Amino acid sequence: MQKKISVGIADMNLTRQEGVLITYALGSCIGISFYDPMIKLGALLHIMLPEKTNAMDSNILKYADSGIKETLRKVLAYGGSKNRMVCKIAGGAKMFEMGGASGLGNIGERNIIKVKQVLKAEGLRITGEDTGSNYARTMQLDVSTGQVTIRTAGRQERIL
Amino acid sequence: MAIHKYDELGEQQMDVFREIGSIGNGNAVTALSGLLSEKISMEMPEVDILEFNQAQKKIGDPEKIVGAVLVELSGELSGIMMLILKERFIKQIVGKVLSGKIEDLLAMGEMEQSLLVEIGNIMLSAYVNALSSLTNIQINLSVPQMAVNMLGGILSLPMAMMGIESDKLMMISGRFFMNGEEMDNDILLLPDIKSLNTLLKKLGVE
Repeated sequence: MQKKISVGIADMNLTRQEGVLITYALGSCIGISFYDPMIKLGALLHIMLPEKTNAMDSNILKYADSGIKETLRKVLAYGGSKNRMVCKIAGGAKMFEMGGASGLGNIGERNIIKVKQVLKAEGLRITGEDTGSNYARTMQLDVSTGQVTIRTAGRQERIL
Repeated sequence: MAIHKYDELGEQQMDVFREIGSIGNGNAVTALSGLLSEKISMEMPEVDILEFNQAQKKIGDPEKIVGAVLVELSGELSGIMMLILKERFIKQIVGKVLSGKIEDLLAMGEMEQSLLVEIGNIMLSAYVNALSSLTNIQINLSVPQMAVNMLGGILSLPMAMMGIESDKLMMISGRFFMNGEEMDNDILLLPDIKSLNTLLKKLGVE
């Protein structure tokens, strides 16, 4: 049994060589895994919202744009390379069918769009994806192999 | 003085929110009790200002499957209300009202689901009506929406909503019991910061 390192909401963790990074029950939030297979360096980020609009907000891991940039900065500092890096994403579900004027119903979808846009702009490849629909997902990245597993309620485990 | 962050609330103001929770929950529980003809009791509500991860931990295991009914509040008060129903409670009421038996919450039929939506609707409306007449503010309720899934995923919606303006949630929560048995259900009121100020002003505890 490898060491499990949990990643909270609006949180990120990274590790090398071995260990499993795990984030639980992603709903409209998105889990983004970063993996450099050559040096077995992995990071897992759990974002909640697409864009940081309030400059005063110091919680940069809460947003897709600032969270991905910060994760990338750390991963590169640890010797990761953008060219080798593979990213996988999970989450962005629509847990409730909400009409409402607040636009909250489609927050998951907005998260997916933003995450893809930011990863693309950074020149990162998305090699696996399990997003959308209406159920929560637990995402884990095994740093020794780079394998990403998605666990959902009432469905079989899926390897991305 | 207007509040800009949930942390700025003082003890006296927190007491007011506890009172709101108490009146709201009392009405919600009475409505449920009338519907089911069961004795339902409640705990003194709690008011918590918690960071996202702490809030989730407080409500329960993120991977646990729960039923949730959600309404959006708008008008002079905006925010979200959510009723979280745990497995034991759902099984008991489905057994009682529909004489049915469910093994798996995820495989619930339409009848069972609409029963839960109805329960949510009745309880949440009773809560909001009480809140509205106490404070004399007008609150509109959206059509209730229901989800059965992992608790963590369900909570992502109110968190995303509050996350726009804060790293914390303010949660007025109440547990209630059926026939003295702990069912571990939660009724949550999550007002946004602007609404907090409206409430405090109306109740004269600015």
